[in-house]
Amino acid sequence: TLRLICTTTAVQRKNARASGPEKYTEAFIKKQIEEFNLGKRHLANMMGEDPETFTQEDIDRAIAYLFPSGLFDKQARPMMKHPTEIFPEQRKIQWGEDGRPFHFLFYTGKQSYYSLMHETYEKFLNVQKHQDQLIAEDLPLQKEKRNLAGSRWLTKIELEEMLLEKLSDDDYSRFIQLLQKLVALPCADIEESYIQKFSKELPVQLQEVVIEPLQYDEQGKAFSTGEGKRKTARATAVVYDNGTGKITVNGADILHYFPVLQDREQLLFPFQFLGRIGKHDMVCTVSGGGRSAQAGAIRLASAKALRSFVTEKEVECMRQAGLLTVDPRVKERKKPGQEGPRRKFTWKKR
Amino acid sequence: QLDHGCALHTAARGGLSSVSPQDVLAERPRAVFHTSESDPAKHTEQHEGRLYSIPLEEVKAVFPHGLPYRFQQQIQTFNEARLMVRRPALELLTYLKSSNLAHPAVRYVIYGERGTGKTMTLCHVVHYCSRQGWLVLHIPDAHLWVKNCKELLQSSYNKDRLDQPLQASVWLRNFKISNERFLQEIKTQKKYTWGKRESTEEGRPLGEVVEQGLARVRSASDAVGVVLREIKQQSHRGSFRLLVAVDGVNALWGRTTLRKEDKSPVSPEELTLVHNLRKMVRNDWSGGAIVTTLSQTGSLFKPSSAYTPHELLGKEGFDALDPFVPIPVANYSPKEFESCYGYYLERKWLQHEKAHTEDGKAELQFLSGSNPRQLDRLAGPL
Repeated sequence: TLRLICTTTAVQRKNARASGPEKYTEAFIKKQIEEFNLGKRHLANMMGEDPETFTQEDIDRAIAYLFPSGLFDKQARPMMKHPTEIFPEQRKIQWGEDGRPFHFLFYTGKQSYYSLMHETYEKFLNVQKHQDQLIAEDLPLQKEKRNLAGSRWLTKIELEEMLLEKLSDDDYSRFIQLLQKLVALPCADIEESYIQKFSKELPVQLQEVVIEPLQYDEQGKAFSTGEGKRKTARATAVVYDNGTGKITVNGADILHYFPVLQDREQLLFPFQFLGRIGKHDMVCTVSGGGRSAQAGAIRLASAKALRSFVTEKEVECMRQAGLLTVDPRVKERKKPGQEGPRRKFTWKKR
Repeated sequence: QLDHGCALHTAARGGLSSVSPQDVLAERPRAVFHTSESDPAKHTEQHEGRLYSIPLEEVKAVFPHGLPYRFQQQIQTFNEARLMVRRPALELLTYLKSSNLAHPAVRYVIYGERGTGKTMTLCHVVHYCSRQGWLVLHIPDAHLWVKNCKELLQSSYNKDRLDQPLQASVWLRNFKISNERFLQEIKTQKKYTWGKRESTEEGRPLGEVVEQGLARVRSASDAVGVVLREIKQQSHRGSFRLLVAVDGVNALWGRTTLRKEDKSPVSPEELTLVHNLRKMVRNDWSGGAIVTTLSQTGSLFKPSSAYTPHELLGKEGFDALDPFVPIPVANYSPKEFESCYGYYLERKWLQHEKAHTEDGKAELQFLSGSNPRQLDRLAGPL
């Protein structure tokens, strides 16, 4: 028989097409888990620790020590985690050997979504029945309101991860509306555990910033410290009360250290904002960075130190003015194939 | 005395438009910053922190070349010359008043950080001395003689030395303007030959030597040397008192940026002007005083943070000037700052709305660090 040497384009295309995300078989996953555990014990031996009590944090620390990497993206660095975290969950084959699907809603296309909707509606009907029963018995309805302010529903992406299948926006909104209707009923406490599967606690508040109280030195003068940074410069400032407005930087006068007016204006800004120009003395130390970076770092440090001297409203004003935020701008990395971070090489026509 | 000063001030203003009550009220606080005492001889601690004015004709006569450039611009803008009376200047004046002229000349070195007012103090002292009738030998900036010189001639008097005709002639011209009458009084004691044909006989007034130097530019440096020698020899006689005021005296002992034709560097001794000036600054004569200023701004090859005599003069200069009376000059005290600020406000130099407020004043004080030069530069664009 002749062997087809040159295949047709249609067949070629089919072979070259990506066959979707790789399917991991159960056996493959099991093998990965065994290898992971073995590797964990080996690693514990290498680091000289007890293999039995070697936690994930220890693994992370050991890997960071053995394979140091300067890449910015944490996901790009070498990592060793349990296979369930690395390989995404996948749906197992939904039908048996005879080709018959296991789930009764398989042919809808979104079997888990519709089964979820059915379940939720069942709970809804349950609650209504319970409510009718209570009304029939003339018992008081429980009126404990759930704390809706501290929780949120799952996002669409989180729901997709849970159900392992794609949803559309419309489906998602229908599901959320159903949940809200369920929660609105007075006797929804019965199904509390079911509802909690789909709600998440909001973080209580942004990190509470603790304003340190004033400290007093030997002579009874009040002072407070603050730290600041900008680009590569780090600064610490100590602001004393009852002063004349004198500022010392690294042991030298401000005029000597910052001959440029612009830097001195940066230092002036927190005091001018609060209207306390001549009232405080300041002693600061700074290292690293350049002239502008050092000025910015000292500005941040002095603003942080001044928080202790000032009312809460003024602290809020300072925060909104941007005096208390760390400037996130740093030097951008140079990319290969370009001369600088953004500048490309000179384009030559030939 | 305050009221007296205020009244004179209003009179000196020359009848402006009708003086309304508000004007009078506004002028009262103004008068605090000024004094009408325009004779430095009468300045005492009471006047400290106040500004006094020098009539413009006197400025032209006494300071043809002494004042800093920015101050000259300020005089042009405000149409008056106002100098602040500060403690270092008062100290110097008391020393001068009480100095014994029979003793060898005492040397005073004014030093301080950049922009604190050393040159202005020197000008104050020069004004006082010229009012008192001293002969003032004022060298505005010795650094001008050791750098940026276009022409260097080999000296005819001494083969090793080099002449600087341009600088010498400029200085002679200014010297002539400031000390007219002395040039007629002082007579030469020796015969000087300027070349094949020109010579100055004994007993001729010094003015002729100066004319000679100005006319024949080639021999200007030698003329300068002659003038200096004559003055030094005759000062101890007592017919006149001599003040040697040198600004930037550290230039005399440092290095120069000049090079000879074979590209070898020139050391200060090889320059005639510098050599003669060094002889003046030595205290082997009596009948006067030597007041000098150290200056980092024009100095060559010195770090910008150096301001003490030891650092700026170097070992050689220090030994040459030793012993001297050091006079430090510091930044503005709060009182002086207030009067300077008040003066700018009054002359409407500070146009910004915020500059009139207390906050604006505090801001200016912070940003300038009470340094006179910084304050002047800050107030410029406002």
